[in-house]
Amino acid sequence: MLAAVHSATLIGVDGQPVTVEVHVSQGLPSYSVVGLPDTAVRESRERVRAALLSSGLTWPQQRITVNLAPGGVRKTGSGLELAVALGLLAAADELPAGALDGVGVLGELGLDGSVRAVPGTLALVDALARSGVESVVVPTANGAEAALVRAVHVRVARTLGELRANLKGEGEWPDWAPAPLPDHDPNDDEPLDLADVRGLRFARRALEVAAAGAHHLLFVGPPGTGKTMLARRLPTILPPLTPSDALDVTRIHSAAGHATNGRLVTARPFRAPHHTASTPALVGGGSGRPRPGEVTLAHRGTLFLDELGEFAPTALDALRQPLEERVVRISRHPTSLTFPAAFQLVACSNPCPCGLGEPNCRCTAASRARYLRRMSAPFLDRFDVRVRVTAPEPNDEPGESSDSVRERVAAAVDRQHARYADWSWSANAHVPAGVVERLLPLSPEARDAWRSLIEARVLTGRGAARVRRVARTLADLDGVTAIAPAHIESAALLRSDVP
Amino acid sequence: MSPSRGPTRPPATPLDPTEVAAATLACLPGITTARLRDLVARWRGPIGALDAITRGRVSADWQRAVQSPRVAELLARRHPHVYVKGRAGYPIVDDLPGTPEVLLAEGDRVDAFERPRVAIVGTRAATPHGLADAREIGGVLGDAGITVVSGLAIGIDGAAHEGAIDAGGPVVGVVATGLDIVYPRRHRTLFDRVRAHGLLVSELGYGVQPRREAFPIRNRIIASLADVVVVVEATARGGARITAERAVEYNRPVLAMPGSRRNPAAEGTNALIADGAEPLLEPSDVLLALGLTPGSRGHDTRLAPEGNAALVLRSCGGESATIDQLVSRSGLAPDEVAVAVRELERGGWLERAQGLCWPR
Repeated sequence: MLAAVHSATLIGVDGQPVTVEVHVSQGLPSYSVVGLPDTAVRESRERVRAALLSSGLTWPQQRITVNLAPGGVRKTGSGLELAVALGLLAAADELPAGALDGVGVLGELGLDGSVRAVPGTLALVDALARSGVESVVVPTANGAEAALVRAVHVRVARTLGELRANLKGEGEWPDWAPAPLPDHDPNDDEPLDLADVRGLRFARRALEVAAAGAHHLLFVGPPGTGKTMLARRLPTILPPLTPSDALDVTRIHSAAGHATNGRLVTARPFRAPHHTASTPALVGGGSGRPRPGEVTLAHRGTLFLDELGEFAPTALDALRQPLEERVVRISRHPTSLTFPAAFQLVACSNPCPCGLGEPNCRCTAASRARYLRRMSAPFLDRFDVRVRVTAPEPNDEPGESSDSVRERVAAAVDRQHARYADWSWSANAHVPAGVVERLLPLSPEARDAWRSLIEARVLTGRGAARVRRVARTLADLDGVTAIAPAHIESAALLRSDVP
Repeated sequence: MSPSRGPTRPPATPLDPTEVAAATLACLPGITTARLRDLVARWRGPIGALDAITRGRVSADWQRAVQSPRVAELLARRHPHVYVKGRAGYPIVDDLPGTPEVLLAEGDRVDAFERPRVAIVGTRAATPHGLADAREIGGVLGDAGITVVSGLAIGIDGAAHEGAIDAGGPVVGVVATGLDIVYPRRHRTLFDRVRAHGLLVSELGYGVQPRREAFPIRNRIIASLADVVVVVEATARGGARITAERAVEYNRPVLAMPGSRRNPAAEGTNALIADGAEPLLEPSDVLLALGLTPGSRGHDTRLAPEGNAALVLRSCGGESATIDQLVSRSGLAPDEVAVAVRELERGGWLERAQGLCWPR
């Protein structure tokens, strides 16, 4: 009278295999769930019972104990319900022996016995595959997403009754259609291109450098000068996601409950939270089940903060750790979680509250100081590229198109991949300070230029390392092996003391 | 701890009875300049006025105030210098309307009043250019041993004090509060430096808090203490304009630094020049206005820029510009402009601040 079914639950954005054990024994009719279930899991009783009855099956009038193993992990969400229902059927000998061996089961139940989609299918199926199951049964809507995991055989379930028949060898398993290709991607309702931006050649150069070397970028300037316009065009010059990164991104977005329609996410994420975003909304966390924040949703993509000065100072300072470590650590009793957060930060800001900036600024010194206090020096220091933007000059011409810039960026990215093949990072911006001297050598002339910056106190020690990384990216964009003095000088100007 | 550090040592000579009486009158609660002048005139001097108050012939509140030991304690603790109008050592010699009856001062350099004095004033919302100019003029005067008088405000005032102190010159800071109040708080350190390198001066008694109306009244003291008034940057309506107007009234030469019409912080100075103020083109012009000969300082020793650097400097058009503007105006590539900007920066032709290039 005991049955065990493999299933999985979400912890953060990762799957955790869970074994659902169902024990049916003599005694007063009762139903209890043990093994750290959350409220949604506890509520499963009513849904499972109704689904069984609606499917023409019987609810055992006996003592039912459901154990979710391992006991120390908090189980969340409703994705375990189908596994509980199948466990009950197996324990009541309603399924042939061995029908559930090596099968992972995911799905939420409706009162009518239908099987409903669950969030995070990719992460859950991936975890099941790693734990050794050979096939999975998932809701129809999740079939395509589950199939992104190549190691398992995917079957789908429409209703509990049909699934029982299939498992008994009766009837055909339902088909799951591969994800329909939308004829129109909602993300690019307005095709963006760098050619839309007139002039601003230095700011464009800054954008190109940021894209090529994964440098964090800050534009400062009066409203209406095109800084937001430029920043929004960053994705158009970034190289596409690698297949393994695409899988990571899809897993995160699926686990966060964003519909992926079973398709691999191939476009780099571009997240633009509003400046009222709270700290947990930005970095993740929150009460109850910790959820990934914008930094995690921007993993392998861009986090765009417009009007940087309007964000809460605490929220901005919370970004410092993920900016440096490229992961977010969330500690909540009883577990601590690590969310991936390898994002590129692009920010825009007005130079002061009145927005006009020098030399036309009409702010008082006090109000300007109050505004700048919101952006702490250690936070601003994380930006490798900081550029002041003004409106284009009257006779400026439209610039290069995104396509031709992207070619240069892609070549520079390839060069970096080759250089850092033996290391754990692949972009100039991520070279640790300790190996800058070894990996980013300078010719005697370039070293002189670099020294003179430090001696003129244009740069601090940390700033000096950052300038070297940016100079390396400039050299990569030029396709040359050695960093030239001009690269150092340009890098110094790309890191101006704004705002 | 008191809000600000007092002088570190007592003055060489203790205060005489007239000075004590004058300081006590200045510290009366709610007293105004006009009231003080009337009292002193009616009772024939500070001692007579204090005596009348003590005998209850003026006001019961003030009688109580002068009977309390508060002022005596303050004078014993803070050792101010007390300057009484009409007596030797009073720094304003000509007969001007509204000259304060009493000036209280704290600081280690009493000689600050014995030298030529130049006031440097300007707006609080100064540009980096203006701040650099104020600092430089303060430095030139400090070098020449001339006292720089200013108001210790944020912006031009602070920069002028800093420049003069850094050059080793004496300074006088005239405040619109009691000498034990530090306003603005951000200038705590500057207040201490002014005490160490000059005098902190006020006509107001101890404990008087900053009030909006007090600042224009204070400005007349700055104007009357100065032999020459220099306005570096001023907005169309601001305290610096008031100081300049008082200076004209008091027959003090006014020098104003011209600026771009695009710079709101130069509107006031340009207007002053239009109204007849002398334009200040070089920091050493101040020395000429004082009737002194400038030394060898001020000769341009910079090497003239060539090639791209010269082109980029011309592209600035004498005003601050972003790199984008320089690229666009010069027609050079961004990297070429970067190299040229750094060259100009090293040669002292250009300064970078707030993401902009400022020609000097």
